[in-house]
Amino acid sequence: MFTTGSKLFLGASALSLVSALLYAGTTDGALSMPGVLGLLTATIVFGFLGGINWYTRDGNVSGAQEGVERTSSAAQPAGSNSMWPLVAAVGVGGLVIGAVSRPVVFKVAVVVVLAAAVEWMVLGWSERASGDSDYNSGVRRRILFPLEFPILAAVGLGVIVYSFSRVMLRLDKDSGKAAFGAIAAMVLFAGFVFASKRNVAKRTVTGVCTIAAVALFGVGVASAVQGQRTIEAHPTTASEAAVCLEAGTAGEIDDNASQSVSAKSSVIANVYLQSNNVVVAYVNGVPGTAFSSIDVPRSAWVRVLFHNDADQSHRLTARLGTFGANAEVIQCTTAVHTGHEAFLDFKVAKTNLASSTPIVLMVPGLDGQEIQINVP
Amino acid sequence: MFVKPSRRRRVAAAAALGLLLAGCAKNAPQDTFDPAGSNARSIDDLQRPVFYVAGVVGIIVFAVVGYAIWKFKDRGQDIPEQSHGNPKLEIALTILPAIILAAICVPTVSQVFSLDKKDNNCVINVTGQQWWWEYDYAKGSECGGVVIPESIVTSAELVIPANTDVLLRITSRDVIHSFWIPRLNGKRDAVPGRLHTLRLQADQPGLYTGQCTEFCGLSHARMRQAAIALNTADFQTWVTNQTEAYTAPEAGTAAAVGQSTFIAQCSRCHQVNGLQDGDGKPVLAEPDLYVLSGAAPNLTNLLTRTAFAGWTFDLLTDECRDTLWNAPPDEFGALYLKGVTAECFNEANLREWIRNAPAMKPMYTDPKNLGSTGGKTRGMPALGLTEAQIDEIIAYLLERK
Repeated sequence: MFTTGSKLFLGASALSLVSALLYAGTTDGALSMPGVLGLLTATIVFGFLGGINWYTRDGNVSGAQEGVERTSSAAQPAGSNSMWPLVAAVGVGGLVIGAVSRPVVFKVAVVVVLAAAVEWMVLGWSERASGDSDYNSGVRRRILFPLEFPILAAVGLGVIVYSFSRVMLRLDKDSGKAAFGAIAAMVLFAGFVFASKRNVAKRTVTGVCTIAAVALFGVGVASAVQGQRTIEAHPTTASEAAVCLEAGTAGEIDDNASQSVSAKSSVIANVYLQSNNVVVAYVNGVPGTAFSSIDVPRSAWVRVLFHNDADQSHRLTARLGTFGANAEVIQCTTAVHTGHEAFLDFKVAKTNLASSTPIVLMVPGLDGQEIQINVP
Repeated sequence: MFVKPSRRRRVAAAAALGLLLAGCAKNAPQDTFDPAGSNARSIDDLQRPVFYVAGVVGIIVFAVVGYAIWKFKDRGQDIPEQSHGNPKLEIALTILPAIILAAICVPTVSQVFSLDKKDNNCVINVTGQQWWWEYDYAKGSECGGVVIPESIVTSAELVIPANTDVLLRITSRDVIHSFWIPRLNGKRDAVPGRLHTLRLQADQPGLYTGQCTEFCGLSHARMRQAAIALNTADFQTWVTNQTEAYTAPEAGTAAAVGQSTFIAQCSRCHQVNGLQDGDGKPVLAEPDLYVLSGAAPNLTNLLTRTAFAGWTFDLLTDECRDTLWNAPPDEFGALYLKGVTAECFNEANLREWIRNAPAMKPMYTDPKNLGSTGGKTRGMPALGLTEAQIDEIIAYLLERK
């Protein structure tokens, strides 16, 4: 009644059940739970497999069926050589190397092993799915293509993007612009050629794209190995009194800091140090009127733009009040060269009345040249 | 014979009918198709012809698609001969939309630049935070011939002179909000660290409502606003009232007791200009220590406003509110300047708010959930005041006008 295979699984199921009962009876309550659950799970799984084997009679072909020696799946020749055992071996090697070197290698190897296991399993099953090899390859495609295509497309796109980003980070800023333009032009040109020559061979298109992708990947790897260029930071503002209250350029924050500001900088006021060393403010929204004070909302970041039209370098300093026992809050721009500009962001959380010192914008070294800041 | 329509068709018909009826609302104070100022009108003048053109194009497209669906419906016939490419048709279908878009583009770009003009002398800083708007009028600014003698900080209602272009400088203290008074102009985002400008102009005195239109957190739907347009004389009166020196309550009154309670319970966040403690020192609010945005509404003239808490809850009774909202332009200013009178005072709203604000308007004020904000709230917490303290504070606030 029971086939050989089903006897094996049903026996294992019974053994698991007996083991679960013994384990539960010989160990303490809470400690025994994981083991009992594991053994009961094995009982169910082995029972299920035993049931399938019993139902399918171990997958044996009935010898009474006519021509079964030619048409059964077992009678078919072995499938073509598969690369998946090799991939799995490489993955396992990667696991070992990753375990003793870098975690990222281990993680990639896990993905490779899992991918190889799935592909190998489905391939092995599909080659014996029926006696019809066309049907077998079709069923493999139907199962794996919905997985393979999106994953491979994402991986390919990721490799291209990552390689390109390594190249751009390696090149200096000027070369980067040229490379970006050149690559874009090449892609556009290739697209134009392929679109205009409809009879171009598919192999040619595939070959060109493959060579381009491999070249990009190679250059990307080389760039990654060399590392990215040094990206320097040039602060444009400071908050130390020793710097901000110093006249002239002796306390320069950074000589290479930008001295030009985007037109979309969203300023509340433009502060000009005029050529006669007089400071005036032009408030956003009120053109043509020079102000000696500006109103800013409390607890909101605001930005002023400082233009230096004097014949020496100067900085703009915001003295933002002294509250309670705290030190005076000070912010300043770098020393701005003649004809250049810099912005200054600041926020005042309390009203003028709460400060024991004036809240003003001033230019160190120029006495009396101040713009009052009203914080209502 | 009557055939009962399918359930899907009945639902579609009901939805279509609902949309149709929604267009028939009489009381629609935030209707962009009912402009009440030059800026909104210039947008309306642009969007109507565009809407008509787009409508005609849409009808043609739907008609052609419908005809194709009906004409070439699968009736078991052979697949017709397939063709590829029709240069004349393709060129025509490329050029025609390009011409239409070009015709729309020219006035649109012109209008965008026109609306972005910034040549105003009346400048008002508008600052959004969760979930209310603050308006501060820059000292020295000139609005419709009225000079602002001192900085004015108010909230809930943006008071402007009618028939005058005012320039709003909009920013935010916490997250992105969006300022919108539909009948006066388009929307403008309020972004922390940035300053965006928007011009408003109202043809006539009146009340124009709006709503924050950028989702900004739990009570976004309760972040409303209103622009109040007054004629020049009334605006002058309003400015004078707002900049008047502080008048302390008469000694021995409930309001005087309320002043002490206000100082003890409310003044750490809410500023009342001119308020002094028993030693004669100014009482200065420090909302930056307690509120994440660093600000709380200035209550110096609370009872000159008609609503509070993001213009969500009325300070006026329903009857008085309706009278004000429906007042003709020549009577509106006088009614508005009365402020909240004793007979029009909606005490229940203010009392409930002081008793337990988060119960009326959801805000992040639970002390157990303030770890990410360093203990600061995003709105007014429940202060646990006694009924006697609430009475005292209300008596004090009733004189803030």
